Amino acid sequence: MVENEFALQMQDITKRFPGVLANDRISLDCKKGEVMGLLGENGAGKTTLMNVLYGLHQPDGGKILIDGKEVQITSPSAAIHYGIGMVHQHFKLVDTLTALENIVLGMPTKKAFLDLAPARERLMQLSDEYGLHVDPDTEIWRLPVGQQQWVEILKSLYRDAKILVLDEPTAVLAPAESDQLCQAIHRLTEEGRSIIFISHKLREVMEITDRVTIIRDGKYIGTIQTKEATQLKLAQMMVGRPVSIVRQPRPVIEKKEPILVMKDVNANDDRGVQALKNFNLTVNAGEIVGVAGVDGNGQRELSECISGLRKLTSGSITVKGKQVTDVVADPSFIGFIPEDRQKTGLVMDFSVAENLIIKDYYKEPYAKKNILHHPVIKKHAKELIEKYNIKTPSGDVKVRNLSGGNQQKVIIARELDAEPVLDVASQPTRGLDMGAVANVHDILLKERNRGAAILFISAELQEVMALSDRIIVLFRGEVMGVLDGDKADASTIGQMMLGQSPEVAI
Amino acid sequence: MKSVTKSKMIRMPLIGDVMMSGARTVIGIVMGLVAGGILIALSGVNPFAAYASMLRGAFGSLPAFSNVLVRASPLLLGGIGVAMGIKAGVWNTGIEGYMYLGAIGAAVVAIQPLSIPPILHVLLSFVVGMLFAAVWGLIPGYLRAYKGVNEVTSTIMLNYVAIYLTSWLVSSPQPLAEEGAFYPMSKLFQESAQLPILMRGTSLHPGAFIGIAICLLFYFILNYTPFGFRTRMLGSNINAARYSGVDTKKQVVFIMVIGAILGGLSGAIEVTGLKHRVYMEFVTGTGYQSVAVALLAGGNPLGVILTALFFAALKAGGATMSIETGVGASMTDVIIALCVIFVIAVGVDGRRRMKKKTAKAETAVTTEGKEDEHVV
Repeated sequence: MVENEFALQMQDITKRFPGVLANDRISLDCKKGEVMGLLGENGAGKTTLMNVLYGLHQPDGGKILIDGKEVQITSPSAAIHYGIGMVHQHFKLVDTLTALENIVLGMPTKKAFLDLAPARERLMQLSDEYGLHVDPDTEIWRLPVGQQQWVEILKSLYRDAKILVLDEPTAVLAPAESDQLCQAIHRLTEEGRSIIFISHKLREVMEITDRVTIIRDGKYIGTIQTKEATQLKLAQMMVGRPVSIVRQPRPVIEKKEPILVMKDVNANDDRGVQALKNFNLTVNAGEIVGVAGVDGNGQRELSECISGLRKLTSGSITVKGKQVTDVVADPSFIGFIPEDRQKTGLVMDFSVAENLIIKDYYKEPYAKKNILHHPVIKKHAKELIEKYNIKTPSGDVKVRNLSGGNQQKVIIARELDAEPVLDVASQPTRGLDMGAVANVHDILLKERNRGAAILFISAELQEVMALSDRIIVLFRGEVMGVLDGDKADASTIGQMMLGQSPEVAI
Repeated sequence: MKSVTKSKMIRMPLIGDVMMSGARTVIGIVMGLVAGGILIALSGVNPFAAYASMLRGAFGSLPAFSNVLVRASPLLLGGIGVAMGIKAGVWNTGIEGYMYLGAIGAAVVAIQPLSIPPILHVLLSFVVGMLFAAVWGLIPGYLRAYKGVNEVTSTIMLNYVAIYLTSWLVSSPQPLAEEGAFYPMSKLFQESAQLPILMRGTSLHPGAFIGIAICLLFYFILNYTPFGFRTRMLGSNINAARYSGVDTKKQVVFIMVIGAILGGLSGAIEVTGLKHRVYMEFVTGTGYQSVAVALLAGGNPLGVILTALFFAALKAGGATMSIETGVGASMTDVIIALCVIFVIAVGVDGRRRMKKKTAKAETAVTTEGKEDEHVV
């Protein structure tokens, strides 16, 4: 019997979520002893594909072959059974348990009492073998992030994973640790194990992988030999999608009145890691400044700082000359469309009418002498429902029962109807269908032409290019570059998004 | 529930929701009563006879019903205090402690012979009682809002402090204490500081009516004032509240203190209306039952009125049942607990069924949440 060349073949995997085609006939294979790169932008469907492989999602179409045999992976434990190990981008470790305990966690045992001695021996052996040294008796939360990742990898190896999936493994690693990881990967492949290496850092993909599969927008773009690829080619395959959103002609606005002025802004993210570094930005009236960048490079923090939800560690932000110090909840001043509409932008159990006034509920005419005037609130809702074409039976319906696009319209109506001087729109079209996206774009353009200053943050490069007068590219909390919206091209921006300065790239 | 489809709910959201939550509560209570009946039967008593006796004990005569109202008084006030917390997303389980503090505050004023009209003497006792409780409630409120201390833990711990503080204060030789008493208790309240008895031959004081009025007041506050709007927003989505400019920390403190004030008033009414002294350990679980009342009412002030009266009827009737049929008096507490468990269980089950039924529709309308999860 001829031994099969491929450790893993995923063929024509299709996965549909309501309203989203996350994977559209994607194929990926990986030979024994090979490092296969999986490259794609955020939202391209990488994680979905891997979740299908790991049994977290069931595909709607396509098949998976392990070692040449077709298998049904119904759960993560089935995936482990087939020799698949996964190191998620966000580690799945129990913080309060030790490294050793985490590694044996979930392993079936016939003994009544836990005997960790053999496990410890095996673990030490594995860590020596691959140069991934971890103190087995330290609790996870005490370990540096890099070592937590070692624990994850060792956990998979302990289960004798033949195919190891590393989801953006280097995002959390220091350079020295990255080198260590590379060495471990080499040793693994020498033994005939296969690695699927997910990343959007081109340089690493070039260094580590043997072949690369590129997916974009849930579609399979191609697989190429890394040796034959260049970073430029990969970048183009990754971001160079056909343009379907057209840049619309816009009136030139001559007057340049600076509205949003950010000076040397530094801010941390929720974990206390610096998310914005010496950030400077000016947005003028009648201008859309688009912020391009891979998700998680400081976009959330940027929008939260401007709206006052996040404290700066240093620097200053002024809007029309007024310093932002506390939460600005005045839509006639700053309209803020938050990134996460259900978690931040809406009270899901409140009615549409109530959601339309969550920033103004205490002001006239909605409240007089500390009494809410429900008839006025309802009338206000009726007007906005009509004006913004929100599809709801009435203003009394809970926002929870509206579709995503209509929920977004509720936020837009609330935030922009009072004609703010500054609009901050953070991922305003995420998860919306084409019609709703076009609607949001129209509204933002109208806002621009009205003379509002607009900061438009989106991970969708295409819409940033279609809408913006100026584009800034955000990478690790810093501005990688500023481009003219009329002249910018996708591959330049794409490279900047990946942390390469344009001089090097072109 | 199964017959209520999504589209119907959308068409009449308010009525639909109220009916569904109301129906759930009633089903839970009925199941609790049935389970209690089984336990009564197991103890060798005819459950129908027992429940009949309970009904008689609660509603058989005017004096019997007045007893229900007297028992409802602290539950109403404590219940609404907890309910406000539930609406704001905090668990104010310190009612027991607030009642002690309220009683002490009231006693400080009520044992003094003051030459002011009785109404003022009573009101002054209330005010001082509420003030004491407010300060007490400020502690867990501050800890929760600014230090992240879990309010359930801190309030329950403080309950014990309040209980022992009271025991100490009413034991001689402390100034509040009755000297040479057979049991630690405070001096008798001045007659001018005692609430009037509304029905001769009973101990019916106006507490229950004050409680109902306050429940109605808070229903109004929650639904018709910016303060209530803020509170509900805080409880429904704290992120959105923050984003809308609400000082969420301050609001949490407010709500905790309001709960404390209501608990304090509950204690003050209990001593000025019923006991006329502060006894050592005079509150036995009423504070915790208030939590059950609010829970059963789903935090709805109007629901609090109904559930408080229901609990009080069970307690009053339970005493009669115990005397007439020999069922242990603790059976009432068992039945109350069963009702709470069933109401919660039915609620949870219902929600899960809803989820299953509407899972597709739900995910369809909120694709963006899903996308975050899956398509990264």
